[in-house]
Amino acid sequence: MTTTHTQSLPPGPRRHRFRVSRRMLPYLLSLPALLTCIGILIPFLTAVAYSLQRYRLSQPWARQWNWGQNYLNFLSDPAFWNTLKVSVTYALVTVVVELLLGLGIALLLQRRSRLNNFVSIMLLMPLMTAPALAALMWKLMTNPGFGILSYLAGLIGLGDFRWASDPQTAMLTVVIVDVWVYTPFIMILLLAGLRSLPQQPFEAAALDGVPRLFVFWRITLPMLTPFLLTATLFRVIESIQQFDIIYAMTQGGPGDRLTVFQVEAYLNFFQSTNVGRSAALLMILWAITYALSNVFIKNWLRLRERSRGNA
Amino acid sequence: MHATPTIERILRGTAIALVCLFFMFPIAWIMLMSIQTNETILRVPPSVVFAPTFENYQALITGKLETAAGTLEINFMRNLWNSLLLSTSSVALGLVLGVPAAYAFARLKFRGSEDIAFTLLSFRFAPPLLVLLPLTIYFQQLGLANTYGGLIWVYQLIVLPLILWIVRGYFEDIPADIEYAYRIAGHGFWATFRRIALPLAGPGIAAAGLLAFIFAWNNFVFALVLASADKQPVTVGALAFVTASGIQYGQVAAGIVLSIAPTFALALYAQRYLVEGLSLGAVKG
Amino acid sequence: MSLELRNIEKAFGKDTVLDGVSLTVARGETLVLFGPSGAGKTVLLRLIAGVIEPDAGAITIGGRDMDGVEPEDRGIGMAFQNFALFPHMDAFANIAAPLTARHQTKSAMRETVGAVARLLKIDHVLHHRPKELSNGQKQRTALARALAGQPSVLLLDDPLRNVDAKLRFEMRLELPRLLKDQGATVIYVTQDYKEAMALGHRIAVMAGGRIRQIGTPAEIYLSPADIEIARLFGDPVINLLDVRPERGSQGVQVRLSDQALAIDAGFAAAIGRDCVLGLRPEALRFVAEGSPGAIPVEVETETPLNEKTVTLALTLRGREIMVSRPAGTPGPDHGRAHVAVDAGHALLFDRASGARIDPAAPVTPSRKEAVA
Repeated sequence: MTTTHTQSLPPGPRRHRFRVSRRMLPYLLSLPALLTCIGILIPFLTAVAYSLQRYRLSQPWARQWNWGQNYLNFLSDPAFWNTLKVSVTYALVTVVVELLLGLGIALLLQRRSRLNNFVSIMLLMPLMTAPALAALMWKLMTNPGFGILSYLAGLIGLGDFRWASDPQTAMLTVVIVDVWVYTPFIMILLLAGLRSLPQQPFEAAALDGVPRLFVFWRITLPMLTPFLLTATLFRVIESIQQFDIIYAMTQGGPGDRLTVFQVEAYLNFFQSTNVGRSAALLMILWAITYALSNVFIKNWLRLRERSRGNA
Repeated sequence: MHATPTIERILRGTAIALVCLFFMFPIAWIMLMSIQTNETILRVPPSVVFAPTFENYQALITGKLETAAGTLEINFMRNLWNSLLLSTSSVALGLVLGVPAAYAFARLKFRGSEDIAFTLLSFRFAPPLLVLLPLTIYFQQLGLANTYGGLIWVYQLIVLPLILWIVRGYFEDIPADIEYAYRIAGHGFWATFRRIALPLAGPGIAAAGLLAFIFAWNNFVFALVLASADKQPVTVGALAFVTASGIQYGQVAAGIVLSIAPTFALALYAQRYLVEGLSLGAVKG
Repeated sequence: MSLELRNIEKAFGKDTVLDGVSLTVARGETLVLFGPSGAGKTVLLRLIAGVIEPDAGAITIGGRDMDGVEPEDRGIGMAFQNFALFPHMDAFANIAAPLTARHQTKSAMRETVGAVARLLKIDHVLHHRPKELSNGQKQRTALARALAGQPSVLLLDDPLRNVDAKLRFEMRLELPRLLKDQGATVIYVTQDYKEAMALGHRIAVMAGGRIRQIGTPAEIYLSPADIEIARLFGDPVINLLDVRPERGSQGVQVRLSDQALAIDAGFAAAIGRDCVLGLRPEALRFVAEGSPGAIPVEVETETPLNEKTVTLALTLRGREIMVSRPAGTPGPDHGRAHVAVDAGHALLFDRASGARIDPAAPVTPSRKEAVA
């Protein structure tokens, strides 16, 4: 018998091997992730620099600092104002429609039943479809030659309804695709929210015979507000940056009908090779999303705290 | 329980049916298209009566497309392979980088940990092109342009915040005492991390990995900007395919079906974690 | 292995949790840390275990400074209040955790775990996961895990808190023998004064991040340092009556129900000061009217506890007092009764500071001067 296991651990000298100091440990553990992210921070700073330069890929010799000129140009640039208008319209319309629709569906499916659970799982599928592929699917369905939706539009007397190829209806078409993809996101978030609400107020209201519309406005909605806010901000931030659906569907067309920020920046970079303008556009978009995401993160943290507390 | 009035049940039923119709119809229709020949697809009026065929899938898998103009080489399987490779590797790298960091943020509250965590989170919300456009130039200089390695690194932009925030929540849910108990029993920090923290956060790590895979798979813009044809995943490849194939709509539809099938399968498998993952842990499923 | 804490300080943010704690525990001694929740007991254990670091002060185990020594190198065993079992390992693996760290052979491990498990009567559930164990079995598993490594210092953080009354009673009887056999230096945290008195060679009473009193169970019970400690020990709780000592015929006296009660002459320094008289319920007994020192009271209710009966009575001034007597002995009739006080057990506290006035203490020099 050796004495090692009957004897308590001797407080002798430490075993001779590499040991990380306790204070350094957290930094060491997160270092790889941080380095990866710093690698992402560098191009970000580069983009800031580009936005302050006159820089065209086609004329590298003319590259020079012009400081705020790219931004100043925007003031008198109708294309910029069009971009801003299109982006904001797109974000607002999609999010409002998705919110109303998502809330409606969540309320429909609120009660736990086999059918409701099945439907809510099925509704996840559009959300799991890559937005670019979703756009392609709708492109096939709205094809003027054989698209089922073009055919149906003709049946209900809309005649030659050209969907995304018509400047009049292009926005409507991409909004429908966005609604198709992202409504389920709002729906499942609100459904989780609805199902996590405490039941007592509802039971009390039911006992007292309170009208259901009143219950909805005075109990359900206020209690659901943090979830609604989280879902809305999340979606506004994403929607104002939408690229995949619009680019895959129309590449910003017809004309400049759908040149939202990221699409316009992409076209500026790769087609007009105007790097400076492209970067300045993205910086403005970034400022908008940064402001929104700060509001979002505050609200989101509150919700997260609460959700963890319940768990 | 009071009985729901019949009229309300009918209204509810109709509403649910309409919802299902709107959200399921495109998927169903594309699936139908994918098993039709171009002749039946182009029929006016469209009809659901046709003889199903798998020749579209066959063409995609063999990479040979028979058209009136002759045989067309397509390489959609290559896109599928790229998607698989990029998504799997990104998630693997994301887990290796993200799980220890998530642990540090959850357990070892250190100076600046919250700020760093938020900076990482804010990447989730920044316009991707802001980083991608300068990267196209850097990638040229670094020789990373059009390499899997470069793409996998850039994919961390979406994969890492997701993993970090979900897994962090799971680590926070492990009582610290359990880890203390293992330390006191004589095991070092790393042994405790490996044998206590990792197994107990296992389901969360798996869920985060699956979700990150779905996000990586569905990504479009990274590869559009940084990859050329031979490295493109299905999202970009399908778009190019539409342009290249002319009117081979059946094959395009089959390609779409093949491209969305893996994420659908994973989503069904991981649906319990979807709410939590999509809201970055803000809402528990 | 002896254990010494010197001026330990710890704060979490702005909350000071430990405010200068010093403590010495002799080799083989069981010291009970007793105090209300939030007193800093658990934090102190964690500092000793090394899972958190003190802001200031030193911890030595067996004469060796623990600064910078990782928890796994301190030779400590610890049982947690919430058990902290590893949910993904069976009871055997849980108990064997301190042994796997030392790369023992499988058979040696089986032998040690088997012995500890038999000792704690859980050898039949070794292959169950924690969630399949009853609360009592979990508690025993946690204890077995703490003991299995035969640590020189054993930290037990209120291990009986989350088990039912029957098991707590059994363990209270079992534990002292177990700890004695173990021969380890033990720090035992509890909020239950009976547990503290049953298990501790000495008790350290903690409150507000400080040690308020250290002593043997008898010392703490009979000579509590202040009112708060007097209230924490004893069931029913000590009677506390506002009094002002005065000069009496036989030295010092206080008035209770208009009756003069002589108290220790050593309390002379307290004459004229606002004080609190502390009378343990068992220091009071019912007597016949007219007995010397009999104080008239009004009997309110009687509550029979197992081994004693507790009477709630009111003094003439309407102050509540509790009187306890061994069960089965005759009690008073309802209505008027008289109690006598065992004056030798009367405690006196300064009302403003709460500190106990020690009749045996010599008069402080400053007071002497003031008198002179």
